[in-house]
Amino acid sequence: MRCKRILFVTMMVFLTQGIAQAKVDLVILPKRDAAQLTIYNSADLTLVRDIRALTLKKGLNNMQFSWANTLIDPTSLEMQPKMDADKIDILDLTFPPRVRGLGLWHVQSQTSGNVPVEITYLTSGLSWRAFYMGTLSTDEKTMGLQGYVRVTNKSGEDYENAQVRLIVGKINIIDQIADLARRQYPYDRPGAVARVPAPAMAEKKSEMMAAKRQLVAAEGAMMARPKEIRKEGLSEYFLYTIEGKETIPHGWSKRLPSFEVKTIPVVNLYKYEEERYGDQVMRFLSFKNDKDHNLGNTPIPGGVIKVYRNVGESEQLSYEGQSNFKYIPVNEDVELNLGSVSNVLVKPTLKNFATGRFLFNGGGTITGWDEIRDFEIEVKNTRGITVKVDIRRNFGTSSWELEKTGDFGDYEKVDLDTVKFILSLNAHETKKFHYIITTHHGTRAD
Amino acid sequence: MKRKITIHKLLILGAIIFMITSPVEARIKLVALPDRGKTIIRLDNPQATLIEDERILTLQQGTNKVDFSWKGVSIDMDSIRLTVLTQRDLVTLLNVSYPPNEAALVWEIHSMKPIEVTVRISYLLSFIDRLITYKGISDQEEQEMSLKSFLVLRNFSGEDFENATVLLDEGQSFEQRINHEETKQVLFLKKDKVPIEKRWTFDAAKQPWDPEKLDTNVGIPVSYRIENVATSGLGAFALSNGKVRVFQEDGHGSTIFLGEDATGMVPVGENMDVYIGDSRDIVVTQRKMRDQHINVRRDKKNRVVLYDTDEVINATIENFKDKPAMLTMIQHIPGQWDMEECNMSYKRKDAFRLEFEITLPAHGKEDLMMHYHRRNLR
Repeated sequence: MRCKRILFVTMMVFLTQGIAQAKVDLVILPKRDAAQLTIYNSADLTLVRDIRALTLKKGLNNMQFSWANTLIDPTSLEMQPKMDADKIDILDLTFPPRVRGLGLWHVQSQTSGNVPVEITYLTSGLSWRAFYMGTLSTDEKTMGLQGYVRVTNKSGEDYENAQVRLIVGKINIIDQIADLARRQYPYDRPGAVARVPAPAMAEKKSEMMAAKRQLVAAEGAMMARPKEIRKEGLSEYFLYTIEGKETIPHGWSKRLPSFEVKTIPVVNLYKYEEERYGDQVMRFLSFKNDKDHNLGNTPIPGGVIKVYRNVGESEQLSYEGQSNFKYIPVNEDVELNLGSVSNVLVKPTLKNFATGRFLFNGGGTITGWDEIRDFEIEVKNTRGITVKVDIRRNFGTSSWELEKTGDFGDYEKVDLDTVKFILSLNAHETKKFHYIITTHHGTRAD
Repeated sequence: MKRKITIHKLLILGAIIFMITSPVEARIKLVALPDRGKTIIRLDNPQATLIEDERILTLQQGTNKVDFSWKGVSIDMDSIRLTVLTQRDLVTLLNVSYPPNEAALVWEIHSMKPIEVTVRISYLLSFIDRLITYKGISDQEEQEMSLKSFLVLRNFSGEDFENATVLLDEGQSFEQRINHEETKQVLFLKKDKVPIEKRWTFDAAKQPWDPEKLDTNVGIPVSYRIENVATSGLGAFALSNGKVRVFQEDGHGSTIFLGEDATGMVPVGENMDVYIGDSRDIVVTQRKMRDQHINVRRDKKNRVVLYDTDEVINATIENFKDKPAMLTMIQHIPGQWDMEECNMSYKRKDAFRLEFEITLPAHGKEDLMMHYHRRNLR
């Protein structure tokens, strides 16, 4: 059995007959009664809430808390009584000289007996990430989406039967928790920055085996259905609370399902923009995080999605690609970039180029002119499904006029030098359109 | 012959008292070490820590020498002062001398008669200081906060202090014992129900304009504003600079960590703005839709010497949250300019900076359009 790295020692110091004679009469190691882990993914940071029952005596109590070989930030330590708070005064927290990983609370108590206390601190080494699996229907009009979270514990501490909560959101931190944990002195020393090497996290084989047994035992006790994850918004973040308790020994990861949606209507969107993607067509799956798409209850945390497609009746799959996507707020559009493709083609061809309307100064130098380009854009859908194609053209100047002809709807001005053309193509359809762009240069642009 | 008597480990105070009956040839040090009386650690200046020690000296009639020496601590020698606190009319401080190659000095004190006097020795001591940290727990509605402030006393001076009085700004004080290499964290301020104002800020000079073109989310910075005024339950003294960690009640008897920031000194009447993190549920997409030269003026050689611009900026602000929000949007227009048309009201904060306060309903969207001319560009 692996030794606990966090120890809590209570030393009761009391006064006898008015004589200020300190006496340590009891040393106990109270068990951790409950633990709660709130794990962040935008920073290497976890808020740990540790509930323990302490036996207090009337008078001054010294409580020692040590955390060797963990990644706890000592500057974040706080202890609060959960009962008789008006009778218990936490005088100070002392980090004694020449001892690492140890804090001593001086607690003045007007009561005696068992008192539950809550110890909170920030630690490094626990992390989580979201990842997803999407499965397109054969006609690629809908997609099933399964979301997972994977929680990893490299904190140096085993957390048994802990409530696990995950925070989605970007918090601001000014110090890395791991750096604070590795300081020789909790708040450093005046005028000096002293660091010592990170605590060794090497695993012993016996410890690993013990941890594995714990994990197996904990999993055996799990419910016969997947755990639910409660999701709620707090401030600018989203809090995911995993049902029940989890045991995550140091060094282990756990994968948990976060949600599943069977049918999300999706649009096969293809994009072409030379300035962003070169001369390749990029494939996107587009949908919206809203009720119409059987989503929209909560934001979707950013992560990696692997997209498969059902092929044939035997439920065989083909791998379509993967995408990193950003956090998606409720009601926001989603575009999953699955990479470049060659089965939808966009071929811009400069059919004609001309210059004209020259302006000269008194010395005969050219000061202004126009450039006229006639482009033909051919868009070919070689696939057996309907696709939507978004073609963006940048002109490099804000002084331009555009004439259009051909097989497409209206264009939309995106910004001062960019327009986009949206086309819908049926299976195996090819469309062509022309546009003539006139750009003004020099004094013609004034 | 020299003799040193050490208090604890490092600081040495030897009071050498003897009658001067003939010219001094050598320093003869005293046998009896005066007990250290009251000690004050004064931390009101963040640049330096002043120690004030009270001692009782037994003086003989005539001239006495008091030797003050130290080892293993860093004392600013020019900062050492001796103040006589009792029977001042009988005692005169004649001079101070520094013995060669020693961390020491000698006071020459003349006494009218044999007496005991209380003196205070003051000096600046290095490697002992204090930090201030804050911990705030916001309520679920983010309307008010329980604010705690902790004093962190760091003693790496080489000196142990038993029962010292620690003095902070504005006369706050408490008794504390702190040994060398010890760090102590003490709660010294706790205020409940401190009103907070939550603010979202988009600064067009700092944030990306088009989030669609980026692979990562563009967050809108979110901050809490706390006013250091009496109506907030504060305002009694300036709030020192330090790290602020902000938590929020989660409605289940627990809290989450919202973020942390470093605040500067906040004088009474001023605001503490704590940047906690970024909102990814408010999205600003800003684009320049027009930027053309107009009113072009030329010299005799037809070269452009002066022109104006005709510029249009559109910004779409979307609130994906299920609560309303007030976004402060800061726009920058350099040089001389005239606003031709703007569909929202703004405050001109300075010559080049405009500030919009945009109310966003839950799941709402607002569009800003600014049409302006920049003037007389060369």
